[in-house]
Formats: sequence, structure tokens, C-alpha cells
Amino acid sequence: MKKHIILFLIAPWFLTLAVFWAFPVAYSFWLSFTNHSVFASGTFVGLDNYIGLFQDKAFLLSLKNTAFFAIGTIPFTTIIALVLAMLIAEKIPGYRIFKAAYFLPSITSMVVISMIFVSLYSRDGYLHLLGKALGLAVPENGFLFSTKTALPAIMLMDIWVAIGYYVLLFLAGISAIPPEIHEAAAIDGAGFWRKLTVIILPQIKPMFLFILVINTIRSFQIFIEIFVMTRGGPVGSTSTLVYFVYEEGLRRFNIGYASAAAYLLFVLILILSLLQIRLLKGRQGTVG
Amino acid sequence: MTRWGRAAAFITMIAVMVTMLFPLSYMVWLSLKSETGDALNWMENYTAIMSRGRLWLFMLNSAVVAVAVTLGNLVFCLMTGYALARGKFVGSKALYFSAAATLMIPSHILIIPIYMLTSKIGLFDTYWALILPFLVSPLGVFLMTQYIRGLPDDCEQAARIDGAGELTILFRIVAPLCRPALAVLAIQIFMTNWNSFVFPFVLTSSPELYTLPVGMAMMQGMQGMGTPLLMAGCTITTLPVIAVFLLFQRQIVEGITAGAVKG
Repeated sequence: MKKHIILFLIAPWFLTLAVFWAFPVAYSFWLSFTNHSVFASGTFVGLDNYIGLFQDKAFLLSLKNTAFFAIGTIPFTTIIALVLAMLIAEKIPGYRIFKAAYFLPSITSMVVISMIFVSLYSRDGYLHLLGKALGLAVPENGFLFSTKTALPAIMLMDIWVAIGYYVLLFLAGISAIPPEIHEAAAIDGAGFWRKLTVIILPQIKPMFLFILVINTIRSFQIFIEIFVMTRGGPVGSTSTLVYFVYEEGLRRFNIGYASAAAYLLFVLILILSLLQIRLLKGRQGTVG
Repeated sequence: MTRWGRAAAFITMIAVMVTMLFPLSYMVWLSLKSETGDALNWMENYTAIMSRGRLWLFMLNSAVVAVAVTLGNLVFCLMTGYALARGKFVGSKALYFSAAATLMIPSHILIIPIYMLTSKIGLFDTYWALILPFLVSPLGVFLMTQYIRGLPDDCEQAARIDGAGELTILFRIVAPLCRPALAVLAIQIFMTNWNSFVFPFVLTSSPELYTLPVGMAMMQGMQGMGTPLLMAGCTITTLPVIAVFLLFQRQIVEGITAGAVKG
């Protein structure tokens, strides 16, 4: 291929990469060291924003909420999705319908899902009534209006939404296992638990790793459900890191300060992803 | 599995299915009810939200944005994929891995710089802001490069000997062979952009440019917007993706697992 043709062919991707990925990443890095806001034009302030963040109660609360959200959802989503994928892989009658039904929430707009759950969690909503019927300490005004229950309620919804997507990914991993291995297990009379730990888990390690990493990246960026359901309230109890960035940056226009928060989030996610890859990959280093 | 094991599995899966389908059924059910929730209203909420909520406009915006972004991705990802799969040039590897790398960047951390960028170059609050940044998706670059690499290049070589230009080869010979991958890509991009909220929300301010998800989020809590009315709007937002899902389930599953299995 001639050079000018190659240039022409890759120009759209190269420009997108430069303008909408590389530049924003670099630009927000610079912004995070400035006092750019409605009142200030953006002079260099060194680490002031970063130092300020660690003294900002609202930021620390968002950090705590985000960590709580991730720790409280990722294990459940992963385990439930893995078990359901294993059951679907057994080709129980109707498995195609189950697979499709589980996936429906994943293709529905998060705004729509959030609005449905606002209604379900409200004072006369079905989930509120269910909670009461089960004898739970249901807050008088509904789950989303109490600092104790608002975040857990959103987390429960998140697990519900996300499962179907990871079921599909796990299924792809399980169906890539050579059928001989499955047959050998069947002949040996391996039960559910043995099959999971001895055959499936070691075989789908790359997929498991991938799921863990993308689920972490996603969980640390939760925003839409917070915006639609609670706007971070009551009293900051559901404010997440991305919600904090949005509030500071795009509502109060503390651009520099919010950029620093966004960058911290970026670094945090990067460290967590690398850590997970390290831990799960072990020493083999040939995964994926 | 034993017979009892299979029966237990079946019951579990039915129970999970009911849980999964309940909220969406509840949405449709509520959308058919009157404001007070005790009588059936049938289509009244739908006609009301269409006229009062300017849903027609939001729908049109969603369609324009999703279709434009999808078409752009088809053409541009095909071009990039072809160059990366067949061309040998300095930096081709780096350009390929950059696509994989961007998939690891949490895109929500970019809302501020992209907001600043679009307002500086005058794109803020225009259709362009909703379309340009998404015209070439990393996923598409990834998918198309992988797919074209897997195609035999005999036909291309033959055409080249016959004197065909590279663009003719790309659009006349390679593109038709890529149809399955392009279908997967188109559906994936369409659904993502139809449902997209964060960037359309951040990059526009006038209601004339709201897409359906943004419009719905903004209508929530407005005066006279009762839950049945909102649920009618939500149903309208959801129907197109469900239709696409039912028609193209196989391609959707492929699109989702492609990046994972090959990555």
C-alpha cells in the first residue's frame, strides 16, 4: 500500500485518538494543577488541588461511597453471573430464553432503569412493600430518602442490572473450553462444585480476569443512577467520585479542582486494574 | 447433573427470570394506567407525553445521532481496520494497541476536558458535539482489524494485479466480505449511542438537542409529570432497543464477547 493511501485510511482514527482521547487525558492532567474556575483564569498552583481534596470531607465521602459500592457489588455480580452461566451451559430446557431474559436489563437505558427503580423504591412502591412484608427496617419515606438505605438500594439495583452482561461473558469463556474436558468430567461424575473449582475456574481464568477488571472500571464510574435517583443525597450519602467530579466541575465550575479529582480516580482505577491482573495472572504471564 | 439437580436449576432460573423481567413489565403496566394508578388509561399517557413532553423531538435527535455515529463507525472503522490489518507501516502496531488501551480508560473522567474542548472550539451545544467524538470507536477499530486479519487476501492480490486501486479493493472486495463483522459493529454502536446519557447530557444545554435518555432524565420531577406519564416515555425509549435485540440477538452477543475473547 502506498503511503498516502495509508495516511488517508488511518486519518479518522488517528484524529479521534489525538483529539478526543490523548488531548483530553493530557489537558485534564494540566488542568488539575491549575486554579481554573469561574473566578480564576487558571494559573499553576502545584499540588494545591490534590492537597485540598484530601482535606475535603465531601470528596472523602465520595471516595468512601465509591469503594463501598464496588466492594459491595462486584463479588455478588461476579458470583451470581458465574453460577447462572454454568447453569445455562448445562443446557437446561429453555436456556436460550433465560439467557435473553437475563440480558434485557443490560440493553435498557440506565436512565430508564433508574426511573423505574425510583418508583419501585418509593413509599408505596412494590420493593418498599416487599421490604415491609419481609419485616425489614424500612425507612418511612422510602429507601432512597434515608442515609442508611439509599446507597445499598442503588447497589442492589446495580447487581440486578449488570448480571446479564457478565453471564454472557462467562458463557463465552465456558463454551470455549474444549468439550473433551467437559466429557471427562461427566465420566468421572464430577459434581457442581468440583466442576466449578477444578475445571471451569482454571480454564476461564483470562475471562474471569477480564470481567473483574471491566467490572471494577465500571463500578468506579457509577454516575447515571446517582444523578437520576438521588443527586448524591440524602446528605451526600450516595455521592460517588464521578458524581463529585460532575458537581464540582460542571455545576460549580471549579474546573481545576474537579480535574484533580478525576485524575485521582483515573490513577486509582489504573492501580486497581494492574493489581488485579498481577494477582490473578500469577507468574505465568501468558494469559489473554 | 442429576435429575433433581436439573429440576432445582430450572426452578432457580425461572425465579431469576421473573426477577429480571419484573421491573420492565412494571414499567409497561404503569404506563397504561391513569395518574392515580387505579384505572387503565391505555394509550392516553403515550399521546400526552408525546405532545407535552416534546418526545418527538428527543426521538428524532436520538435517531439522528445514533444513525450518524453508526454510519461513521462503519466507514471509518473499516478503513482503519484495513490499513492496520494489511498495511505495513511504522507505528501500525502502536495504533492498534492504542485502541485496546483506550478501552481501559474510564471515559467518565474525560467529561471535563471534553466539555472544555467542545466549548473552546464552538461545538458545545451542537449536533457535532454529540457525533464527532464517537465517529470512530476503539471497539470498532479493534473488531475490524481482527476480522480483516482473518480473511484470506487472494482476491485482494488478484485485484491488485489487475490494476485496481486500494480504495476500490477496500470498498468493492473487502467490505462485502466484512458484512458479518460490520453488522455486529453497527448494532453495538447503535444501541450504545441510543442509550448514551453522560456525554449527550454534558455536551448540550438546550432542550432542542436533548436525546431521549437526556430528555427523560430532565422531565423527571417536572410539574405535572406523574409516574405513569414518565413510564410511557421510558417505554418509548426502550422499545427500539428491545426490537433490535430481538432481531439481532446473535450479533449482539458476538459484539459483546468479541472484545473480551480476543482481547
